[in-house]
Amino acid sequence: MPIYEALSDKLTVVLDVGSAYTKFGFSGEYAPRCIIRSEVRCKKTNTIRRIIDYENQKDLYDLLVDFVHVLYFKYALFSPKDKPIVVVESLLCPTLFRETLAKVLFEHYEISMLLMLPSHLVGLSTLGAETALVLDVGYFEAVAIPVCHGLPVIHAWQALPLGSQIIHNNLRALLNSDNTGINNLPESVIEDIKVRCCFVTKQKRAAQLSVAKPEITFAPEVKYPIGGSEIITVSGKVREKVYEILYDEDNDHLCLSTMLLDAITKVDIHLRNKLAENILLIGGTVMVPGFKARLKEELHKQLKHDRYKKLKISSFKFHTPPCKENYTAWLGGAIYGATELLSMKALTREKYFKENRLPDWPNMRDNFRTNN
Amino acid sequence: MAHVVGPEVVKYACTCGLLKSISSLYFCRYCCQLRCGFCVCHEVDSHFCGKCCENLPSSEARLKKNRCGNCYICPSCQQELSTRIGSKGPSNPEDPKSTPKKMYYLSCLYCRWSSRDVGIPDQSAATGGWPDRENVNANRLQEIIEMYKAMVLAEKQQKEKDKKKQRGKYLSYTDRTGVTAAALRKRIGLPVDIQHSLLKAKPKEPEPAIAKEDVEDLPEELLTKPVNLTEVTTIEQRLLQIDLQPTTVEKLFPVHKQLSIKRSLRCRSCEHNVSKPEYNPNSVKFKIQLFAYYHVPEIRIVTVEPLRAGRPSELIIKFTNPTQHQTTITILSLVLSGDENEVKEETGDQPSLPQEKQPPSLSSQPSSLLSLSSRQPSITIKPRPVSQEVNADVAIPSSKVILPPRDDAAEYDDSGDTHNIQDDPKLVVWRKSNKAFVKLLVTPKQGLALNTEIVAGFTMQHIYTNTIATTVENREPDKHDHNIRVFLTLGNLVGFD
Amino acid sequence: MELREINYNKNEYVETASGNKVCRQTVLCGSQNIILQGKVIVQAEAIIRGDLANVRTGRYCIISKEAVIRPPYKKFSKGVAFFPLTMGDHVFVGERSVVSAAVVGSYVYIGKNCVIGRRCILKDCCLIEDNTVLAPETVVPPFTRYGGSPGTNIGDLPECQADLMVDFTRGYYQHFQPTKII
Repeated sequence: MPIYEALSDKLTVVLDVGSAYTKFGFSGEYAPRCIIRSEVRCKKTNTIRRIIDYENQKDLYDLLVDFVHVLYFKYALFSPKDKPIVVVESLLCPTLFRETLAKVLFEHYEISMLLMLPSHLVGLSTLGAETALVLDVGYFEAVAIPVCHGLPVIHAWQALPLGSQIIHNNLRALLNSDNTGINNLPESVIEDIKVRCCFVTKQKRAAQLSVAKPEITFAPEVKYPIGGSEIITVSGKVREKVYEILYDEDNDHLCLSTMLLDAITKVDIHLRNKLAENILLIGGTVMVPGFKARLKEELHKQLKHDRYKKLKISSFKFHTPPCKENYTAWLGGAIYGATELLSMKALTREKYFKENRLPDWPNMRDNFRTNN
Repeated sequence: MAHVVGPEVVKYACTCGLLKSISSLYFCRYCCQLRCGFCVCHEVDSHFCGKCCENLPSSEARLKKNRCGNCYICPSCQQELSTRIGSKGPSNPEDPKSTPKKMYYLSCLYCRWSSRDVGIPDQSAATGGWPDRENVNANRLQEIIEMYKAMVLAEKQQKEKDKKKQRGKYLSYTDRTGVTAAALRKRIGLPVDIQHSLLKAKPKEPEPAIAKEDVEDLPEELLTKPVNLTEVTTIEQRLLQIDLQPTTVEKLFPVHKQLSIKRSLRCRSCEHNVSKPEYNPNSVKFKIQLFAYYHVPEIRIVTVEPLRAGRPSELIIKFTNPTQHQTTITILSLVLSGDENEVKEETGDQPSLPQEKQPPSLSSQPSSLLSLSSRQPSITIKPRPVSQEVNADVAIPSSKVILPPRDDAAEYDDSGDTHNIQDDPKLVVWRKSNKAFVKLLVTPKQGLALNTEIVAGFTMQHIYTNTIATTVENREPDKHDHNIRVFLTLGNLVGFD
Repeated sequence: MELREINYNKNEYVETASGNKVCRQTVLCGSQNIILQGKVIVQAEAIIRGDLANVRTGRYCIISKEAVIRPPYKKFSKGVAFFPLTMGDHVFVGERSVVSAAVVGSYVYIGKNCVIGRRCILKDCCLIEDNTVLAPETVVPPFTRYGGSPGTNIGDLPECQADLMVDFTRGYYQHFQPTKII
């Protein structure tokens, strides 16, 4: 196994570029080296710009060049040239983004090999299991994809714009009624209020939130200081209500719980019960207190509706990954990156420049059977 | 105000098409081209800790996960922690006369966090022994990693086997894979492969995780107990300790300080270093310093007359020659498009450098040898067009400006200048040692709105004297013209003609 | 931009033989403990606390208006002790900044309204942006740009920073001329 020895000696970077936070570390390690905001300081204007706010491909290229530079020269502390890299990406990642990222890595940083791994599949590897329904709740969207026997069932995917962005907007709107000057607050402050004050309440209490005369006493309010001089009041109702947007059905009667059930509905009848009993939640948003408990309550509530009665599911079981949920997908990438998969399946620089394209699952050319 | 602070009003177009101030540009002497941080290859030269300024060899840095072993940062505000002397109890409690023993603790001088807050016992050694926390899931994760490694390896071997089967009997005994060894062993009667049988014994697979029906409920106290914000960690504090991500402050632990690096820069088209720092972290000197600031005439704006659309304004700029050789500056009109021609033209200017795209020879640059072994030649990125718009015309003067070489001694010489350079009085206003003040006329274009930022541009051609490319036969230093596109931000339009 | 002429009233400044230009409206406590190496400019209402401990600057230092140079102290169990403050060559201290560092290297630029906490060590070639507050005992490595409160590393400096600072402080000194009486 000489190749294997040589590879394990090298440090392989594992990168998971999220919309809000980027997870960065090395293969075979148990936690990322850093989780930093996906943003760079724009040299021209000296302001912080988020990567996802890119204007066009050229702009994204420049942003990613700066961002990858920070990752390598502030955290990895070695030159990316002629080194392999593992990138964990969502299956629903925009083509423009993944292709630009590959271009930056191959052309600008001259990496030797690139291995792109789907986040839902690799996140599962932290459990050592092969079949589960994986729900990733990130910044922009929540994406549920069932993985059966090591294969993502892509046709059953479900996605809704339910992530921390919508929660931040909701929190801003809710805070606005009690306070002034909320609209000028940067999103990082809103995020901090969310993280430190808010939680997902119970189903019974949630029903009372919209009632005019609630029978419950809300959680105590929090005085949140801003910049040392001002104080924002975060009322108990706001603290409990802000996450309700994830569980409230929208006009199409869709919400987080229906997503999971719809995904289960779309897979083969024999697998349905197994998926319901193997649910894995990943992404930073699921770490909020009470998220799992409430999701379970909601799932049981939805089961009573006519549209899901035929599912005949009796119980939902949740996995607890051996890590924090916000870097589960990264950890999966680190596990895969430690194997020889890198030398077997990675896209080499020579091949990238020869074919000038990046393999992608919607492309028929890349759709021969693989079994990871 | 120089380049130290203040807006950058004079920008040079790098060969790659980006506009940079002269201080952030490099000049590769081998290619005779401008380079910038974007178009050179960055390499890590040495690791050091920014607090204790100690160098770490790269292997040790890797072992310590790019963190300093002795320095800590505050888990609460991320400032550096200081070691303080705490209680001085007697080393021997029975003998009160024994010398007092010093105990140390860590304290943040900014937010007053201290290692005592979270119950870390004081240490008897100043340098450390501070407890490090282990990942609680380490064993389980190691098992999983091993399992996946074995799984993928088995798959790979299966594939190789399949390949072998396809090849069938056409086994070549000359190739050096394990196949032949195994075949040979068979022929001489040895067991096929001792290792192989060991591998076949399946590694103990860890149990797959089992999902549970009962999930952690919402902590009841969140609904009843008031939140003390000072006890709840912020997201930054949580992400500082990634594997624990504590939600309350009493679980914060000191974090090892991240190491910094010194980096060297390498030209991507000729693989020569353009910048290489000294090893000592405190040193601000360089072994190789091909900065444009030392090789390319510097331009500064001295005065601009108020700018009016359509009316020529007087602009005085200062040229400084940083080199030890006399140079001549010619101002040419700006060529915005067709920049590729310019590159060609420039390279065409240097026929005396035929070997420029080869990797450096062993003798010429021993310092680059270290990393040369595994280096592959770089990919050259196509230059992009300059994105800057120009909205003022510069009247191109017909005469040239001669700049004498830089003379460090002249800085201390207050006596008058003794130069005998015949200047065009219309062009050169004033000169002193290696500097010349030049008057140009700029005319902002018609039809611009009030307060539009006016940017003028021209191509500066200067004679560059290359001292390194001289071969044995050719003792005369090389002189060639080098063109640089320069953009001047002159200020806002104040009126119309 | 080329530096403009900075004019001062000739009567307000004292020029020493070594080229130091010190304003008369400054507070130089314990002047026997203050060493200015030459070509140093100390502008109006600056305070240098030589009475606490020795203060030593290099050549071509510029102490702007209302800046305070104050040697750092350290608390011991038996009281406090002050430590000398040394400053390298070609250092610029902006207006209303308070410097309590132990060491300020050469080619250092400190912006306006900064607080450099006690016993900080600023290595050569670093830049502190305007309005920065450096926590006590912070070490600023070479070629870094610090900013914010508390001050953190927010960027890098160009490699030719030393020459830029030499050029800047020399230029400042050359342009710092008395108002010509016509």
